[in-house]
Amino acid sequence: MNIVTAEIRRNERVLSRKIFKYMMMVSLVITAVGLALVIGILYHHFENQLTDQLRKEVSYIESGVLAQGTDYLKNVGNVGDRITYVDKDGTVIYDSEADVEKMDNHSQRKEIREAEVTGEGEAVRVSSTLSEKNIYYAKKLADGSVLRVSATQSSVATLVSRLIRSLLGVFVLMIILSLVFSSRLSGKVVEPLNNLDLEHPEENQIYAEVEPLLSRIYRQNRQISAQLESARRQQKEFSIITENMQEGLLVIDRYTMILSVNSSVERLLKTKGLKTGESIYALNRSEGFRSVVESVLTGNHENRILPLGGCEVQVIANPVVHKNKTEGAVILLVDVTEKVEREQLRREFSANVSHELKTPLTSISGFAEIMQDGFVQEEDIKAFAGRIYKEAQRLIHLVGDVIKISQLDEGEIPYRWEKLDLYSLVHDIFGTLHDAAEKQQVHLYMEGGSISLETVPPIMEEVLYNLCDNAIKYNKKDGEVAVYLKNQEDTVSVTVKDTGIGIPEEDQERIFERFYRVDKSHSKEIGGTGLGLSIVKHGVIFLGGELKLNSKTGTGTEIQVVFPKEHKEKKKQVE
Amino acid sequence: MSERFIRQLEELHVELITLGSLCEKAISLSAKAIQGEGGKTLIAKIFDTEKEIDAQEREVENLCMSLLLHQHPVAGDLRSISAALKMISDMERIGDQAADIADLSRHLDPKSFPQDSIDIRTMAEDTVRMVTESIDAFVKGDLKLCRQVIEDDDKVDDAFNEIKEKLAEYINDGKPDAGSGLDLLMAAKYFERIGDHAVNIAEWVEYSITGEHRNSGNTQK
Repeated sequence: MNIVTAEIRRNERVLSRKIFKYMMMVSLVITAVGLALVIGILYHHFENQLTDQLRKEVSYIESGVLAQGTDYLKNVGNVGDRITYVDKDGTVIYDSEADVEKMDNHSQRKEIREAEVTGEGEAVRVSSTLSEKNIYYAKKLADGSVLRVSATQSSVATLVSRLIRSLLGVFVLMIILSLVFSSRLSGKVVEPLNNLDLEHPEENQIYAEVEPLLSRIYRQNRQISAQLESARRQQKEFSIITENMQEGLLVIDRYTMILSVNSSVERLLKTKGLKTGESIYALNRSEGFRSVVESVLTGNHENRILPLGGCEVQVIANPVVHKNKTEGAVILLVDVTEKVEREQLRREFSANVSHELKTPLTSISGFAEIMQDGFVQEEDIKAFAGRIYKEAQRLIHLVGDVIKISQLDEGEIPYRWEKLDLYSLVHDIFGTLHDAAEKQQVHLYMEGGSISLETVPPIMEEVLYNLCDNAIKYNKKDGEVAVYLKNQEDTVSVTVKDTGIGIPEEDQERIFERFYRVDKSHSKEIGGTGLGLSIVKHGVIFLGGELKLNSKTGTGTEIQVVFPKEHKEKKKQVE
Repeated sequence: MSERFIRQLEELHVELITLGSLCEKAISLSAKAIQGEGGKTLIAKIFDTEKEIDAQEREVENLCMSLLLHQHPVAGDLRSISAALKMISDMERIGDQAADIADLSRHLDPKSFPQDSIDIRTMAEDTVRMVTESIDAFVKGDLKLCRQVIEDDDKVDDAFNEIKEKLAEYINDGKPDAGSGLDLLMAAKYFERIGDHAVNIAEWVEYSITGEHRNSGNTQK
């Protein structure tokens, strides 16, 4: 029912229907009024015509009556119209339709009286049945008597009833015509309204009445598009800012639904296909994360480090409070894996350093204590002092290495870039290591010619020395150490290859860490501080070079360092 | 659709995720427990989680009922609500069985069995993964993942059969600890059942997305 009435109500509001309705009404009223007027005019016209006819008839009969009197009238007989002959005193002398004896005196009749005064008179009398109307015409004759002729005219109703068929025909035709035209015209009037281009209202050529509306739409369109544009720009700015953030940014409402999210979140939580309007739990539903979200939505600030998506993620959550009610939260995710790992490394480093420092110190203190207590014989003191000296040297060496490495770390070594011949540098290093190599029964080889490179000599020396030193230390008896110098187009490469014990694959990643030892149990026998390769790594980075490791347990290790010929300082100068 | 209805549907989704993650927690803890890790505190934690699951299940059920009563959902909404009603009973069962496993693990030393042949660890891990994946499938509406879970069930079923045979041999050999063997078999059975529940969840997720349930056409299976 409701639908039907709604439909009707809607139809009432359709403009074309309204126009159609009014046009139909107008044409119906005009048709009806027109027809009525026509009928009225025609009726009046007929009446006049009838009176004229009566007048003519009277003038025909007049002469006859004057000559022959009543006899003439009797001879004329019934001509269709009623003829009455009235004497001077009003007595009816003759009547063609009624008995004279029964008729009363006519002197008081309107037409007779008029005729007696003015010479002729007219009267119209409606008969009692109302469907007929009598028209009388009277004329005063020369002898003073009055001749009257009357005719009957059918009334309007009779006329209409006689004409009804053709009238109806005309009426129906009119209705059909107005139906057709109304619907055509109403369609035509509305058509331009229907075809309005509201996107570009200013381009429409349409009724003047609609123009103000259109111009208003035009203005509003422009306003809306300007606002949209500014909203879009703000959105874009916001997303550019958030998309370029390393940190994951999440905005949620109080029902945990995501309002805004940047792509870093996807990267951090290792999820795909993020959508706004989803619950934040769809990203991650681990207990820790849920408790952070729950807590922040009750209005607490949260800052925790949680293992999410395989990383250590710092979750900083702030509630959004509006009128003392938590309406949502802003959550910031920061990848702190590296930080946590570094923290771990730092702790290990401190522990290692303390350990490495303590071992020689314990020895020194032990020897000194024995000597102090006088348990040592005079001839042994020299040997003991030698031991103390050795351990002290080791300590100095270790502290020196630690200082070097921290200087490399901080980049605060005073340095000068100078030309250096790598060939002669390696030659010198071989010279220094000659004794150690001989002790280990390791053979040293060198391949390649003189290569001059602009570098920082002390750091380069440190790098190559440590590489060669390691190659000798971790070699087998009768092994070999070969250094290949290669001069390439833009780079210089130095490869140190040994035939030593090699490095197990699982340790290869870690050997450049400070104090890391593959074989922890034999470190003391081999000596060294455990910082050699770490110094190499930092040195190579400092010089802008690259380091490649290729090693196999049992067959040997090959370490290649590649230095660019054009170092960073020079590049800066050129720029 | 009224604002409130949409809000309630979202709430249902969030509550279901919470329930699902509680299940994940319970089952992954009991997988640890059966491997002899954690001790008494772990077992107590599992029992607590199980209680939490029961409470959460009732909450979700109430929410579903209220939605059905007050909002007269149709089509997809009706499907997801009825799927939710089915899913929560599977989730609740997962919680119960996780607690049962925790109970068994009190008297069980898995190290007394040959680890390489009676591999309850792998089976437990597979089951945990199935549960996680079925919840993931629900959260993301991921049909592929649903099918993956349904396929994975065979693996867990096979693992159960293998453990059963190995345990039968073990007991047959007259090893002293037959009672523990039976306990272990029970635990394995629970894991297998949990796998089935995960499959049920996946099937309901599939139903709520596609409108077709796997077993609807062939009830005479």
